[in-house]
Amino acid sequence: MFRYIKLYFSYIKQSIIGRLEFKADLFISIFAFFLASASSLGTIYLTISSVPSLIDSNGISWTFWEIGLIYGFSLIPIGLDHLFTDELWRVAYFRVANGTVDRYFLRPLPILFQIIAERFQFDAFGELIVGIFLIVICSLNTSVCWNFQAIFLLIVASVFGAIIISSLKIIFSSLAFRFKKSGPLLQIVYNFRDYSRYPINIFPKVLQFILCFAFPFGLFSSLPFEAILKGTYNCYYLSFIIAGVSILFLSFSMFIWIINIRKYESTGS
Amino acid sequence: MIEVINLTKVFRKPVRQEGVFGMFKTLFSRKYEETTAVNSINFKINDGEIVGYIGSNGAGKSTTIKMLCGILMPTSGKVLIDNEEPYKKRKKIANKIGVVFGQKTQLWWDIALIETFKILKDIYQISDQEYEERLSFINEVLGIKEFINQPVRTLSLGQRMRADLAASWIHNPEILFLDEPTIGLDVLVKQKIRDAIKLMNEKYHTTVILTTHDMTDIENLCSRVILIDKGNIIYDGPLSNIKHKFGDLRTVEIRTKKDLDIDSLDHFDNLVTYTKNDCSISISFDNDKIKLETIVDYAFKHLEATDMKISEISIEQVVKSILAKEDK
Repeated sequence: MFRYIKLYFSYIKQSIIGRLEFKADLFISIFAFFLASASSLGTIYLTISSVPSLIDSNGISWTFWEIGLIYGFSLIPIGLDHLFTDELWRVAYFRVANGTVDRYFLRPLPILFQIIAERFQFDAFGELIVGIFLIVICSLNTSVCWNFQAIFLLIVASVFGAIIISSLKIIFSSLAFRFKKSGPLLQIVYNFRDYSRYPINIFPKVLQFILCFAFPFGLFSSLPFEAILKGTYNCYYLSFIIAGVSILFLSFSMFIWIINIRKYESTGS
Repeated sequence: MIEVINLTKVFRKPVRQEGVFGMFKTLFSRKYEETTAVNSINFKINDGEIVGYIGSNGAGKSTTIKMLCGILMPTSGKVLIDNEEPYKKRKKIANKIGVVFGQKTQLWWDIALIETFKILKDIYQISDQEYEERLSFINEVLGIKEFINQPVRTLSLGQRMRADLAASWIHNPEILFLDEPTIGLDVLVKQKIRDAIKLMNEKYHTTVILTTHDMTDIENLCSRVILIDKGNIIYDGPLSNIKHKFGDLRTVEIRTKKDLDIDSLDHFDNLVTYTKNDCSISISFDNDKIKLETIVDYAFKHLEATDMKISEISIEQVVKSILAKEDK
C-alpha cells in the first residue's frame, strides 16, 4: 500500500512537470480556470434564481438559498472524482480505440492504478472552490445548523459520493475494452449529475429511483440536505447507507473492470 | 524459457456493409466474420537465444508478441514464460520482460527522458547502485546521455527508438520483445541498435525475440528464425538453413532504354522468375543455381540496360519461395 502511495506521487510529479513544460498553455489554463469558475457561478445564480422557491411532492418547500446549498454541495463529490480519475474519459473516448493503453499492460502495476495515476486534474479545484463558496454563502442565508452529525454526513457523502462517481466511470469506461469506444455512453450516465442539484422529490418516481440506486447522484448530494435541513432522514443512518452503497458500487466496478479488460484486442501493427 | 503451445487467436468482427445504409445494417446484424490471426502455433525459446520472428505484413507477428507479453488473451492454447501464463500473472511476468513497439512509444511524452528513467526505477524497484550501473551501460551502447534532458516529444525518431530500447531494458529483463525496433531508421542508427541488442544478450544473457522486415537485422543478430505466414509457422530453424534449403535468392531490377519486347527469358531455362513493367524488369533468381554475373552480363548485352539495382532477398520472397516449395 505504502509503495503505491509513493508511486502515485512520483507519477503525479511527472504529470505536473509535463504540465509545466508548456508555459503558455499553463497560463491560458489558469486564466480559463478562473473564467470557467466565474461563469459557472453566474449560470448557477441564473438557474436557481429563476426558481425562487420550490414545493416538492412531499409538500416540503425549499427556499432559493437552500437550493443553492444543494447545488454547491453537489459540486464537491464531483470535483473530488474529477481531481483523481479524469484519465478514464480519455480511455473511454479514444485511448482504447487507438491502442495507447497497451503500455499499461506491460508494467508490473495494476492497469487501473496506472490510468488513474496518469493525471491529476487541477481544473477540478474550480468545482471544489465554487462548491465551497456556494455552501458558505448559502448557509449564511439559511437557518442550517452545522452540528457534528451534519458535518459528519457531508464528509461521508463527499468522499463516498466521489467513490460512487468514480465507480460509475470505471464501469462505463471499461466497456471500451469490449466495444472500442464507450465515451458517449459514459457521458450519458455522467449527465445524471445534473439532477443531483435539486431536491430529489421534485422529480417523477422513476427518476427518483434511478437517482437513488442506479446512478445514485441524488443519494449523496440532495438526500443529505433532506436530512440536515428538513430532518426527513437520520443523518447517521443516511451516512451508513451512502458508505454501504459506495462500497457495493466500487466492488462491482472492480469486477466489471476485470471482466472487460480481458476482452481487450489492442490494435493492428 | 518461453513455451508456446497450440497458441491461437481468433478476432471476431461484425460483417461490415458499405455506405451509410450499410452502417445501419451493420449495427443491427448479428453476422460476424472470424479472422484467425494466429493458428495453433508451437515453439520453444531457450534462455539467451536471439530469435527473429518474421513474416509479411499481417502475418500475425504482432498478435503473437502481444500474447507473449500479456496484452492479449489467447483464444485457445497457451503461452508459458517460466511456467506461468503472462496474461494471467501479468504483474509478475511484467517484471521479467521488456517490450519495445517500434510504432508506439512507451515513454512519457511530455517529460524529459531522464524523468522516465526515474519513474521506471520506482516502478521496478531498482536499487540505486544497479540503476547507475545500468544507466551507464545503456549510455555506453546507445549514447542516450546527449539527449537525456530533452522532453521525449522533441526527440528524433532515431533518438526515440534508442530511448525506447533503453527504457525497456532498464530493469534488466530476462526477455526482451522487440516489435520492429529498426522501423524507419537510417543505417547508422540501425547498426547502433543491433550492436546494443547484441551486447545486452552477451553481457546480461537477455533472451531477445524480435520482429523485423529488415533481413540485415536478422543476418546480424539471429541465430534462429521463426517464419510465420497467415498465422501458421512455416519455418523454424537457423537462417543459414533457409538459404541452404530454399536457395540464396536475389533480385535484380533493371531499367532499360526502350520498352522490352520479350515474352520470356527462356535463355535461363526457368531458373529465374521475372515481372516486367514499361521500361523496367525485375528478375529474381537463385544465386546458387545461376550466377549474378550471368544475369548482369545478359542485361547489358541483350536488354540494353541503363540502370541496375541488385537487392537482397526480402522476407516476402523467402515466404513465397517456401510456400512454393511446399506446394510441390
